[in-house]
Amino acid sequence: MKTQSAKIWEKYTDAVTFSKIRDMDSVAQMWESCVKEYADRIAVSDNGETYSFSRIDEEVKRYRTQFADLDKGDRVVLLIPNSYEFVRAFLAVTTLGLTAVILPVQLDPKAVFGCCMKFGAKKLVYQKSMQDKIDQVLAIKPDLCVVKAEEIPEEETDAAFVAGTDPCVIMFTGGTTGKSKGVLLSNAAVMQGTVNGCYGYKDVFFQRYLLILPLSHVFGLIRNLMTSLYTGSDLFICRDNKDMFRDIAAFKPTAMVMVPALAEMALNLSAKFGRNMLGDDLKTIICGAAPVAPYLVGAYHEKGIALLPGYGLTESANLVSGNPESLRLSDSVGLMFPNQEYRIEDGELWLKGRNMLDCYVGEEENDSFEDGWFKTGDLARVDEEGYLYITGRIKEIIVLPSGENVSPAEVEAYFNALEFVQDSQVFEDQNDRGETILALEIVPRQTVLAKLQKDDPAAYMMEKLGEVNRTLPAYCQIGKIVIRDQDFERSPSMKIVRYKK
Amino acid sequence: MKREEIREKLKQILFETDDRNADQVRDCSEDSDLRTDLGLSSVGMLYMVFSIEETFGVRFENVSMNDFKTLGDVVDYLENKTEEGKSK
Repeated sequence: MKTQSAKIWEKYTDAVTFSKIRDMDSVAQMWESCVKEYADRIAVSDNGETYSFSRIDEEVKRYRTQFADLDKGDRVVLLIPNSYEFVRAFLAVTTLGLTAVILPVQLDPKAVFGCCMKFGAKKLVYQKSMQDKIDQVLAIKPDLCVVKAEEIPEEETDAAFVAGTDPCVIMFTGGTTGKSKGVLLSNAAVMQGTVNGCYGYKDVFFQRYLLILPLSHVFGLIRNLMTSLYTGSDLFICRDNKDMFRDIAAFKPTAMVMVPALAEMALNLSAKFGRNMLGDDLKTIICGAAPVAPYLVGAYHEKGIALLPGYGLTESANLVSGNPESLRLSDSVGLMFPNQEYRIEDGELWLKGRNMLDCYVGEEENDSFEDGWFKTGDLARVDEEGYLYITGRIKEIIVLPSGENVSPAEVEAYFNALEFVQDSQVFEDQNDRGETILALEIVPRQTVLAKLQKDDPAAYMMEKLGEVNRTLPAYCQIGKIVIRDQDFERSPSMKIVRYKK
Repeated sequence: MKREEIREKLKQILFETDDRNADQVRDCSEDSDLRTDLGLSSVGMLYMVFSIEETFGVRFENVSMNDFKTLGDVVDYLENKTEEGKSK
């Protein structure tokens, strides 16, 4: 077992900045400190208005009164799209020691009702844009206590004392088994995740963040909103993603948190239209929630932007690791953040620490835990410098007749490094003699092929794929390669649906 | 701009948006569903929106991307927009 210390992160920023990064116990403690230190600074820009820390605090004090009749630990559902109203409601609920149950706004009314029942919600806060949905929920359960996110009482209510061990939020995740579950995170876990977002780059405080990720996702809530508040930064809320590039041009963010597909898309648009779509002020992209293609790091570096991949889970209050040296080690998800205990057990990454979930709510039995460790389901290795590499998912492991285990993702990574490979899938198949072999299918990147101007693109691709194949250890070499003319089947979240045995 | 011209420009944008489904885009019709037939993800939709705005010199206003189900829906919208532009 290993535990990461904060010391290792010191060299990535200056001494003054590093000394300001300190652990906090609760959202209530953080918010009190933010209001004291950053009172007049702009914390949120939304819908044409700006909100300073002190203005938000005045409104949070009044909005808490909506929940003054509840007891500490009670649960309040938030059904609010990305907006200032979300920020106000979230702070009001959590600084009173209540637990915010954050629902994705696209849930249908029956699912909203189901969540209210399952989690024993005492109140539900909604934005008026959700009125139709709420009317349908109320038709099923007329006595559900609902509160409008826009209605702020005149009377103020003080924050409560909230301890690190007190529950803070319930977030949704597909979990390590793919089944949707509610993850309960304590205040200490949320704050560790928040502080983790400050490590590994130079300019940490007083940034301009643009929010495009949903706040119902842990990457949006903790790394984007919470770290932005913690660092006295200004968070611009992009209400409609189709306006993202206009918002960027107007707001000029210095830092963004995004998924790799968006980073790739912005890069392609920049090339097409001959200008930096993410703006000239952008210095840092925190990239995660899916594997980051290593080429993105170099491509953004050429534009003067540090793209920093990381690894995290909803169960770990977002960030477990971040890569401060992504240019040198572009295929790593980085170094473990402080207070993260970890071990690799039979190739699987196990985690423990302040940032980890308390439990899956309402799941009586769960095989994700063993001896206090959370089993991530991810296959990983750590190099001699302490850099973490995710090499696949445990449930995807192929056991060959020889007894050797092959992680398809690890083999695919070799082929994905070829520029013309858009996506690939390694799977178990049989040859003509009925022997078990490894097979590979790839989806080519047509735009790259077009540029290469080969007379016989298929022959060229086969030659290059064969060259890569011959570099692999004998037991995991591919016995059959197919170049697909259409995409793989994909899940609703756009992940490749893997072939079943 | 003629409807056919709009459609062809759109197909070019769709090809650039996500070239994994190049064959489907090549063979698509105005009835093709942007998400299920042409495989556009939410990020792909964003790419398409921006490319359309730049290419056609229009701006998507008071509409949500969920309002566009098929390629024909986008062609309709752009036909109206480019007509509006001419009459101003």
